[in-house]
Amino acid sequence: MPGVSSDSARGALVPLSPESPGAAVYPLRHGLKSPISRLSISWSRGNSLRVSLFAAPSSDGSVNDGDGGKVVEVKLGGGDGEISEAHWRRIAYGSVSPFALLQSRKNAVFSLSKMSMTSSPYDGDWWDYIMEYSKDINALLVNQKSASVPVLDDPKSVITKGEEPTSLKAAWELLEMFYAEKPSHSWLPERLVDWLADYDSLFSGTHPTVHSKLVDFQKELVNLQVVEDDPKYWEVVSSALAVGWLNIVVKMLRLHGSYRLDQLSNRETENGLVEAVAVLISKMPRMRLEQEAGKLGECYKAKPDFVKAWEKWRGQINKLDSSAFWFQCAHQQTREGLRSMLQIMLGNANSLCSATYNWIELYISHFLYMRPLTVGLESMYSLAQKSIQLKPMASAHRLMGLIIGILGENTEVVLAECLKGFGPWMVAHAIELLTAGSDHAEMLLHEERQNLGGISIEELHRLVYAQVLSSFPLTWQIAPIYLMSCMKHGMVLLQILLSKQPVQDNQLLLKSIEICRLYELHSVTSNIMKIAGVHHWKHGRKGSGVFWLQQARDEYRLNRIALQLFDSVGKTISDESFKQWEGLIQLLGSDSKTAGGLEFLHKYRDFKKSLRQIHNGKATDSARQAVESLISLMKNPSTPQRFWLPLLYDSLKLLNWKERPLLNVSQTNLLLNKLQELSMARLRPDFFESELPPQALNSVRLALGTNLGRAILEE
Amino acid sequence: MAFAESQNPLRVRRIPQSRYIDAVRWLSPVSPSDRFAAIAYFDAETNSPSIEIAYVDPNPQSSSPTLTLQSSWTSPSRISSLKTAHSTPQPLLAAATFSGSLHILASDLINGGVMESEATVSELGFHSGPVSAVDLREGGTECVSVGEDGRVNLVSFVGDSSNLSYRRIFDAKGLVGYTAVKWASPSEFATGGYGFGIQWWDQRTPGGPVLQFKGNWCQGKTSGIVHSIDIHPSRKHTCLAGGSSGTVFAWDRRAAQQPIVLSGAETGEAPNSLLSESEVWEVQYDRYTRRSNISNISSTRILPVMICSEDGILAVIEQGEEPLELLAEPCAINSFDIDQQNPSNVICSLEWESLAILTRS
Repeated sequence: MPGVSSDSARGALVPLSPESPGAAVYPLRHGLKSPISRLSISWSRGNSLRVSLFAAPSSDGSVNDGDGGKVVEVKLGGGDGEISEAHWRRIAYGSVSPFALLQSRKNAVFSLSKMSMTSSPYDGDWWDYIMEYSKDINALLVNQKSASVPVLDDPKSVITKGEEPTSLKAAWELLEMFYAEKPSHSWLPERLVDWLADYDSLFSGTHPTVHSKLVDFQKELVNLQVVEDDPKYWEVVSSALAVGWLNIVVKMLRLHGSYRLDQLSNRETENGLVEAVAVLISKMPRMRLEQEAGKLGECYKAKPDFVKAWEKWRGQINKLDSSAFWFQCAHQQTREGLRSMLQIMLGNANSLCSATYNWIELYISHFLYMRPLTVGLESMYSLAQKSIQLKPMASAHRLMGLIIGILGENTEVVLAECLKGFGPWMVAHAIELLTAGSDHAEMLLHEERQNLGGISIEELHRLVYAQVLSSFPLTWQIAPIYLMSCMKHGMVLLQILLSKQPVQDNQLLLKSIEICRLYELHSVTSNIMKIAGVHHWKHGRKGSGVFWLQQARDEYRLNRIALQLFDSVGKTISDESFKQWEGLIQLLGSDSKTAGGLEFLHKYRDFKKSLRQIHNGKATDSARQAVESLISLMKNPSTPQRFWLPLLYDSLKLLNWKERPLLNVSQTNLLLNKLQELSMARLRPDFFESELPPQALNSVRLALGTNLGRAILEE
Repeated sequence: MAFAESQNPLRVRRIPQSRYIDAVRWLSPVSPSDRFAAIAYFDAETNSPSIEIAYVDPNPQSSSPTLTLQSSWTSPSRISSLKTAHSTPQPLLAAATFSGSLHILASDLINGGVMESEATVSELGFHSGPVSAVDLREGGTECVSVGEDGRVNLVSFVGDSSNLSYRRIFDAKGLVGYTAVKWASPSEFATGGYGFGIQWWDQRTPGGPVLQFKGNWCQGKTSGIVHSIDIHPSRKHTCLAGGSSGTVFAWDRRAAQQPIVLSGAETGEAPNSLLSESEVWEVQYDRYTRRSNISNISSTRILPVMICSEDGILAVIEQGEEPLELLAEPCAINSFDIDQQNPSNVICSLEWESLAILTRS
């Protein structure tokens, strides 16, 4: 956890609410027959608990199947039903690059503004960067299940099924439109209309919606012969009109029976009225930047143009409403239905209220038909409050809470709603948008807080998200990106995270080391290598152990394991096992610094090699080399004392060389001194007795004496 | 550094898998139009490893899914090394696991790709600890496996016995660990390990490696591990190896102890030739070349090489030329395979639970 504040009484960083809902009880299937005597619970990977159950030993002492114990993994919280674990991970992977890019751009902009001393660092390309970030993240939230697009346009299909919308994407788009798009709030109402058109179905689960009514009606439509006789038809058309789904409305109006060729002649007036309404709907003026191709309505960018068109359009509606043709329309449902539609278009509050099913739909209909010129969050917020009063809701959808928070301009509420409804990923990434344009929010989120242990809210949420990533074996590698963006505690937590990674597998180990290299954490690198080295050594992989300890330049441990190695060297470096040792000695290299006490092995190998060559019959030259190796080994302080006698005993052949003495006087004296030292050392209690024949010492002494005599004579 | 996009068109298809991919290989096809791949998955949510055969849609533009699962085999442990070999009537797969077992699988590509375990070695003492690398001989009758425990095992199979017999070629008793292996000829193979060492083995000369390449040419600065070895059938005297610190080198057995460094931190050349500083996970000779025939390239020159690395690079290196970068991913590329029949196709596995299929044209 991120650092605990000095105030330990309020030390909790993520406060637990005491009024949490009553405890739920879930049965755990463990399959143990005997009663449970002991229980142990620990964290497993990610969100799982490992519950170990120990059964009580059966009283009669018999052993039955199912006795003993069992370990069960319990997954906590099925997560978001909407988004699978795998999809969450895909989002996590995908958001790394946009996040990292934005951070580096932020740093660049910040340092540039420091240099040029301009007041606001955030201008120019800044909004492009933010928008690019938001779009990149948004693209990740698309549901992978691709929708099948029908090739033929079915005239009876009023509602087309696009991709399955998700609340997460809906929430991100809300944040994007309010915080990331360069603030031009006059378009916001129309943006919200589009947003609801995309995501109205999300509310269907908990609230009645226009979308669900449309879906229901779609099912009945197949069996309906005369649509206009069905009151539901008019209900649904009015509702769709109220929330501004103009294309659907016009398409549905064209299903009206009066369009049929066989009826056209006797229902001419009626058909004229239906068509007039349809035309008026398709000509509705909209104040928006652009209109998607094929969408109905006429768009105006400038306010004066829009107001003029709006007045003209309403005039036309009024004119139609008071026209005399209504009396000639014989079909009662058509007459009433169409006129109630006109009321909606004229912005009749009661009609709007009865045509919509929840406050958001009502809210949107107000934007469309009553107050298309609403500007500013304050007036949008008061309108939302009014809509909620008119259509109170029993339970709030997580998106509704978010909308209210955004409109209320309350950053803390927005953050809380993001965390509650969408989890740590959302908060960590949404903060970038919240702080993009608002100085107030920036101050609030960047201020270092005493009760959070001296870190800011922004850092807290990044740390929490990094913890979530760290707990899962596949995502821990991306946690460093987020930790490194945390000024206060990021580095320390990164070091802890890296030190905790398993070292058994080389591939994982090297991945950890690579991250250390990127962030220049050399001390962590060498710690990890040491741990790996000791691990391999303990498990009998001596070569791997030596390699990692060498990489870590751990002289101390290399010397320690050298002592252990020597124990086995004395016994096993025989001719047949030479090849096994060869590889290890090669690994040690000629550089004695990284080899520690193992340098001895290297020289010993050279000595053994020349000795062997003598056996192979390559006479005097090899013998000379062997003598040189022997002398340098005996001179070298790193040669352990316990090897002195075996070395000399191995060299008996050299000492008794037939042709001429190979060692000169001083060399022989050196060896004799060593032998003397050895005899003295034998009296000490900690002396290590080699497994040589008991007469070894004497035969070496004799050989050295003889050699000394011969050497003196020669000189 | 040259980027591939500017020179020759390259189509990349990235396919999210929702599972970690431990290894990926092409399977040699039964008919020329087939494209099958063997993928070793690890599902971290359920802790279950498996090998699956998938049909790969060869047409990059088509709207149908790129990968279609054909069959699946559940492995007792995570796959540490996967190799495939051409064999009649069915291509063979050799899969080694972290628990120290070896599995020979055959996939019937004609009848829906059903995969069957032909044989298994899992007895105690085969390897202690994970098998770090395995290689299947072309034609598929023998398989060599190595581990960090220092054991080199030769597994022969004739096809009808379900329990394989193996022969221990060498046991270094942990004093040396091996991390890579590759057949050179029916009797020779090369292994790689710590300290950039390469060993050359000949079954006709038992008792240990015939030749050893000492990796201490780095002059003690930093050493590394060989992760992958490749040997070209027409250049058996040269071992190609890739390993730590972006090192890619070739060892010509005729030229004793001097390596030919193709890429790496220790080359001392101009810094722009440094392709990657992190682990090179896999190396393979790249048979896809627009140049004239291989036979025209002098025998002392190293043939083009493809590598993938921990820092997300997939590139082709030619001796003395700027490396050609094919992919630069934000995450590690852990393994790749070049289609032997159609070398313009490359499949690679990415750290972030996805596959990428490249088509060069």
